[in-house]
Formats: sequence, C-alpha cells, structure tokens
Amino acid sequence: MAEGAGKQRNALLPGIVGIAVVTVYLILFLSVESQLGVALLLAGGAAVVLLAAKFGGIAGMRQSFAAQERGMNGVALLSVVVIAGFFYEDHFTLLMITVVLIFMVASLGLTVQFGFAGVLNFAGAAFMGIGCYTAAVLTKNTALPHVFVILAGGLMAALIGALLLYPVLRTRGHYSAVITIAFALLFKTFLEVNDALGGPQGLRVDGMNVFGWELNDNIALGDDFEISFYFSYVIAGLVLLALAFAFVRRLERSWIGLNMDAVRLDETATACFGYNISRWKITAFTIGNFLVGMVGALYAMMLGFIAPTNFTFGDSLILVSIVLLGGIGNPWGIAVATTIVVILPEKLQIIQEYRFLLYAVMVILVLLYRPLGLLPRPLRSYFPGWVPK
Amino acid sequence: MTGAPEALLAARGLGKHFGGLVALEDLHLEVRENEILGLIGPNGSGKTTFFNVITGIYAADAGTVLFGGREITNLSAQGVYRAGIARTFQRSRLSLSLSIFDNIMVGNHKRLNQGLWFNLVQRGAFRRELEENYAMARELVTVFDAPLADRMFEAVGGFAMIDRRRIEICRALVSRPKVLLLDEPSAGMTHDETKQLMDDIMQVKESFEDLTIVIIEHEMGVIERITNRCVVLNFGRKICEGTYQEVAADPMVQEAYLGLE
Amino acid sequence: MDVGLVGQYVMNGLMLGMMYALVAVGFTLFFGVLDVINFSHGDSLMVGAFTGLATYLGLDAMGVVWPVVQVPVVLAAAVAMMALLGALIARYLVLPLKSAPPLNTLLITLMLGTVLREGIRLFYPEGSNPKPFPSLLPTHSAEFGNFTLRVDNAMMLLAGLVVIVGVHLMINRTKLGLAIRAVAQDEETAKTMGINFTRVVLVTFALGSGLAAFAGILNGLYYNEINFGIGLLLGVIGFSSAIIGGLGNIYGAIIGGFLFATLQTIGAVALPFASAYKDVFAFGVVILIMAVRPTGLLSEKVSERV
Repeated sequence: MAEGAGKQRNALLPGIVGIAVVTVYLILFLSVESQLGVALLLAGGAAVVLLAAKFGGIAGMRQSFAAQERGMNGVALLSVVVIAGFFYEDHFTLLMITVVLIFMVASLGLTVQFGFAGVLNFAGAAFMGIGCYTAAVLTKNTALPHVFVILAGGLMAALIGALLLYPVLRTRGHYSAVITIAFALLFKTFLEVNDALGGPQGLRVDGMNVFGWELNDNIALGDDFEISFYFSYVIAGLVLLALAFAFVRRLERSWIGLNMDAVRLDETATACFGYNISRWKITAFTIGNFLVGMVGALYAMMLGFIAPTNFTFGDSLILVSIVLLGGIGNPWGIAVATTIVVILPEKLQIIQEYRFLLYAVMVILVLLYRPLGLLPRPLRSYFPGWVPK
Repeated sequence: MTGAPEALLAARGLGKHFGGLVALEDLHLEVRENEILGLIGPNGSGKTTFFNVITGIYAADAGTVLFGGREITNLSAQGVYRAGIARTFQRSRLSLSLSIFDNIMVGNHKRLNQGLWFNLVQRGAFRRELEENYAMARELVTVFDAPLADRMFEAVGGFAMIDRRRIEICRALVSRPKVLLLDEPSAGMTHDETKQLMDDIMQVKESFEDLTIVIIEHEMGVIERITNRCVVLNFGRKICEGTYQEVAADPMVQEAYLGLE
Repeated sequence: MDVGLVGQYVMNGLMLGMMYALVAVGFTLFFGVLDVINFSHGDSLMVGAFTGLATYLGLDAMGVVWPVVQVPVVLAAAVAMMALLGALIARYLVLPLKSAPPLNTLLITLMLGTVLREGIRLFYPEGSNPKPFPSLLPTHSAEFGNFTLRVDNAMMLLAGLVVIVGVHLMINRTKLGLAIRAVAQDEETAKTMGINFTRVVLVTFALGSGLAAFAGILNGLYYNEINFGIGLLLGVIGFSSAIIGGLGNIYGAIIGGFLFATLQTIGAVALPFASAYKDVFAFGVVILIMAVRPTGLLSEKVSERV
C-alpha cells in the first residue's frame, strides 16, 4: 500500500518540479530589467528546456499531468497566484500577467474553431473588440451586473460571428478565411466612423464590480500594505481561464470534439456517415467566439478605456500565430505560446517594433519544419486514466 | 417456381455525365437481399461513379435509385447513410491522426448522442455510452483481427494498409447498415493480405444476419470466391450479369477486358 | 443626373475593376494550377509598387527624367522583381507544403504577406508613411461636355485591357498556356505526358506575381500615392472577386473583379456619407453571392477525387 502511494508520488514529481522551475523562472524573467539580463535568461531558459527534453524531463511532466490531471492543473493555477503575489505592488507586471491570461482564453476560443473544427478565423481581435465595446456600452448605459456584462460580451461576439459565417458554411475553408479577414479589416474602420461608439477616440469603460468587490480599487490589508488592483483582475482572469480550459478540454473529450475533428479532417467521408458539416462548424465557431468575446469584456473593464487601434488585423494575426506556434489543438501549447508571445516583446525591448514580423517568420518556420507546433496535440483520451479492458 | 427475389437496392435507367464524359448510361442494376454482389469492369467503366451516385456524393442526371422500395435518388449523402447504406472508399479515407476507436465512432454517428448538454454535463451517462460503444467496437474489430482490438487507442496512421482497410470496413459496419458498399478493398495489398481480408469479409457476412454487400474488385480470384453474382460494367453500361462462371465465359466481357480479337 | 459625375464614377469603377481583375486572375491561376490560396498576393502588388517607386527614384537620381524611358523601365523592373519573388515563394514556401493540409499553405502565405508588409514598413526608408508616386503618364485631359477624360487614365485602362487579353491569349494559344491548363486539370496525367510540373508551377507563380506588380504600378500611377498597407485590402478584394467569379476560372476572375468594383461604386453612390460603408456593402453582397452560388458565377474547378 505504501509502495503504491510512493509510486504515485514519484509519478507526480517531474510535474511538480517542472512547474516549480517554471514559476521561479518566470518570476526572475519578469523581475529582470536590464536587456542583458533578459538575453541571458532567455539563453539559459532555452538550454534548460533542451536539456529537459533530452533527459526525459518533458516526457516526465506529461506523465505527471496524465496521472493526476486535476491536481496538476490546480498546482499550475496556484503557481500563477504565487507569481502574481510576488509582484503585488507592480501594476505593470500584473497587467501583463492578466493580458497573458486573457489572450490564453481568446486563443482557446480560436483553438476550438481552427484546432478542432478547422474553421479559420482571422478576426480574433475584432471579436474581442465586440466583447470590449459591448462591455463599454452596457456598463455606461445599464445597471446590468458585471458578471452578466461579461456573458453579454461573449453572446454578442457569438451572435455576430454566427451571422457572418452562416451564409458560407456549406463551402470550403478558404471562404471563412476571406470573410473573417474582410471583417477584421473593416471592423476598425467601422468603429472609427461611428461616433456612437466613440469614433477614433474610443470609449471609457467602467471598472469591474462583482458583488460589491470593486476591482478597480487597490486592495488594502491593514494600514500600510496595499496590493495593486490589477491583482484582482489576475484572479478574475484566472477564474475565466480555468473555466475556459476545463470547458475546452471537456469539449474535446466528447463526441462533439470527435465530430469537430472528423469534419476538419475529411468532409466528404463524414458526409457519408451522416454528419451535418455546417452544424459542427458553426457550433465550433460560435463557441470559440463566445470565449473570445467574453474575455474581451473583461479586458475592457480592466483597461478602463478602449479605442479602435486596439483591434487591428495585426492583432488578430497575433492570436492566429499563438495557436499555430503553440500546437494546434493543444491547450497547454496555447499556454506556453501565449506566455512567450505576450511577455517577450515587453521584456526584450528591441523586438517590440519587430514583433509582427518576428512572429510571422516564426510561424512560417513552424509550418515548414514542425507543423504540429511546440507541443503537438496528443491523441484523444475521453477520460484521462480510463483504461478499458 | 416463384418470381425473381425482391431487389433490396435497385438502379433504373441511371445516368451520370461530367461535361461531355458519360460515366453512367441507362444503368439497370439490382442488388438482392443478403447476397454478395460483385461489380466488375475495366478501368473507367463507372463502378466507383455508381457508388458515388448511390451514396449521394454525385447527383444522378437521369434515372432512379430505389432502396427497400423507397426512392432515394435525390437523397443527400447524410440521408443515404441514415437509410442504412454505408461504404468504404477506393482511396482509403481514414483520419490518420485519430485513433482506431475514433475512426470507428465516426461511422457510428447516427447512434451516438450528439447533444451538447449530454456530452459536456452528463458525464456519467456519457461514460456509459462510451464504454458500451467501446465494447461493441472492440467486438467488431476482433472479428477481423484480435491483436488490432488491443490497439484501439493508437493513431491509425501507424498501421499497415491491410489493417487500415479492416478499420475502414469496421467504420462502415459499426452502424449496422443494411447494405455495405466496398470499393476495391484489396487495392494495394499482397495476395496473402487479400486472402486474409476476404476471409474476414466472409466471417462478417456470417456473423451479421442481415447484411447485403456490393463489392467492386479487380482481383478476379476474390470475385470468384466470395460473390454470389456479378454485374459487369463497361463505359457506364451493364453488359453482363450472372454468376462469376457465367460472366467470365461471356464473349462481350472478354472483349471489354481484353479488347477486340 | 450630371453626366460628368456619372462619367467620373464609371471611370473610377473601370480602373478599380481593372486592378481587382488583375489581382483576381493571379489568385485564380494559383488555385487552378496548385489548388493553393496565396494570401501574400495582395502584398506582392504592394511590393511591386514600391519596387517601381524605388526604380523611379534610382532613375531620377541617375538623371533619367524622360517618362518615355522611365515608364517601361519602372514597369519592367517591378514586373521582373515580382516574377522572381513569385517563383521563390512557389519554390520555397508553397511546393514544400504540397502534401500538407491545404489550409497550411493559406496560412504560410498569409504570414509571408505579413513579412512583406512589415518588411516594407520597417526597412524601406520611412516605410510607415504614405509615399508619393510620380505621375509618369501624360496628365492632360480631354473634355467631352461635362465629362473630363484624363489621358493617363485612358492609357492605363487600355494597358490593363491589353495585359488581360495577353494573358487570355497566352493561356489559350501558347504551349506554355496549354501546359498550365493541363497541370490545372490533372497533375498526374500532365506529368506522365512529360510536362515539367515544377517548372509550370514556378512559371505560373511568376506570371501571377508579375500581374500583381503591373497592378501595383497602375495603382501608384492612379492614386499618385502608395503605402505599405494597400496590399491587404486589395488582396482580400481580389480573392473575393476570384471566388465569386469561380475559383480556377480566369474569365470568372475578371468578371468578379469588375463586379466588385461595380458594387463598391453603387455603395459609394447610395451611401455618400461614409465611404467605409461602401466596402461593407460590397462585401455583404459578396457574402450573399457566395451563399447562393458557392462555386461562383462561372464554374469553379472541381479539384477533389472521390
């Protein structure tokens, strides 16, 4: 009996150690100011990853997560709280962490659309913008509780996306590409000519207020200990991320996930097995947009101010890049890719200006040499740990 | 002696053309219940096109298709599947990146609960359906090849052609169709593999009570061995019909395959 | 109705239609030959325009100031450079992905488009600002009552027409065109007939990109200004035009291009208060066309073997 428990502990060890290492690394990376320090940390990090891969560390981590998924996920969530706690006074870093969490949720939405059902969406930023503007309008003009505002942001994005795509569902992949690109390009212009939505100057958004907890106020503990209000948004973001992550995972591990994969991989064959191809494509597209819009509403309330320039085609392409770089259809790949894509340009100042170019080049390389991405998606296991006879 | 057996699947005057190319012309073809019918003919004679029209991938330009007395000519591919006709493809169309089990479940689409609530929230019930279907799929695969049944959660892409063909046939059979259309199942396989596959098909026919099979093949040994009757096509028309022996001896058939003397 | 104003709209519509058609033909060629969606095509147009501009500035610096020399040299330089770029794209990005899922090629070319766009924005001197493009063609105009016809516009329209007719003749009357059509219809058979598949692909991409460069120069001459972002919208419009005309069908692409320009003109006339809405209107109609006739107004190429 003791041996069994011991074995289980050993199985979890690589995972816990891995998460601990990553947590420490991220704290260091986020603290460092000098460009030299950043460069050194990057080199060091790359070396550690390569060594870990060579000596089975990555595989070990994967096994840990497979063995005790809920526990490991919980540890990962906890580590984010730890990292955020470390920077409790640092507005900027906490803001950056929340942006990472928000982009993760948005990328998860895109994963459902493209990674599962193969529906291309090049208007991710625009749909996020829909969530943002919905939040802006609702908080300004109604007394709707903010939790519902977030849901409303998701619903608006889902609705508009469904309207946009419905006409061309019975056609092939490139149609959704054209339409979403056109939408992404025209969205910004549409906002700029519409004074009701603030025009080019943008709109103010009220801060989030949940059950009396005003997220835009710093948290005061005692007389002189104050935590930045962004910490509250980190928590809010984590909640949404945890929900989205669990949801997307469960979606994949069901007949619905299977249907989406089947439709993506071979439309003709699946038609011969009774599949209503449009149904699964629009389900995926709508679910994905709901996630994107929902998290857009949170984003708006956190920023306090949104303008059309936040939602360019380039921003949509960043989301696409995250999905392709991380590993199509793999939520953990998304997590890693989002962290890199959001944090790196902030820390390594020289690449700030070049980030669109850099990510485009990286995606080209990935598509040529490692099309499955950084963390390729594993085979579907309907219930982790389910070993059928 | 009573009249000819009732046709389960019948094509009457079926026509299909692609621009100027006539693929099927005034085709009358009957498939009788519970038989194994061989569909043969030289390359380009319209055999696969016939399957494609039956299964709703192509729309017929002329004629009708009747299934169990009911007209299914203009039914969509989805409708044909739901009516009880399933198929395999000439160029194996499995999803290589999905597991064997996943691929087979694709074929089981009409019998699985597709509701969002069921799949996402009622996980207990979903698990039961999952386990039932796993057991059923396993049983089916075991008919073909027992070792394969132990590897149900491996990606199909890693298996040899003969195993992939078996899996593809399982995918078509899992929904218990009344008619199974096999499109050149032995393509790309060695003699021994072909023999194994045909053994499997015969075994399936025996285990399933109510199954009618139409098989397109180029391997005459297969046709001779497993079919009850044959239909020969040439240039989209039926030129001969009967048992393999009758058809093989027919001069028109010989001419079609070998050319004019 | 003011005839002059109508004439102006018509002229503008024809010019736009010409440019869209040229881009759309490129898209349709790529799809026809290789079943490929090349989303860097619009940005090829933009790079072509910048190449032309750089050539002009170079000529100017060397003291070559006669439009008679400038125009052909600028055109030749832009077309040649883009043809080369097109061939390189085919060789190093598209052909290697031949056996990958088709969406991967769409994605890789989209990313390449971003590289081209950002490349110009970051590395061309003051690339993020719009650049004036010289008027190299005679700018005097002829008056027909209320309607003013500018000579340069007429010349460009004529040139565009010549190019389109030239492409049509090449595809239908030359051996190369025959090879392209053969490969487009059935790659396997074309190869067994001795056609050099790779060479046909490279030539097709070079041809399409050369067309884009030509359209880019026209764009510059017409608006007298270019900027790094013009490729995006033009690319999407060109692609939509190719789709509604029927992907793989060259005449469809041409019709689609002019159709889109017509829609934009109608939109501009009907909604004069916001020019952005003309695009929304045009795309709205395009989506409807796609929904009603997904294979396009003329027939789309059937590329799948069941």
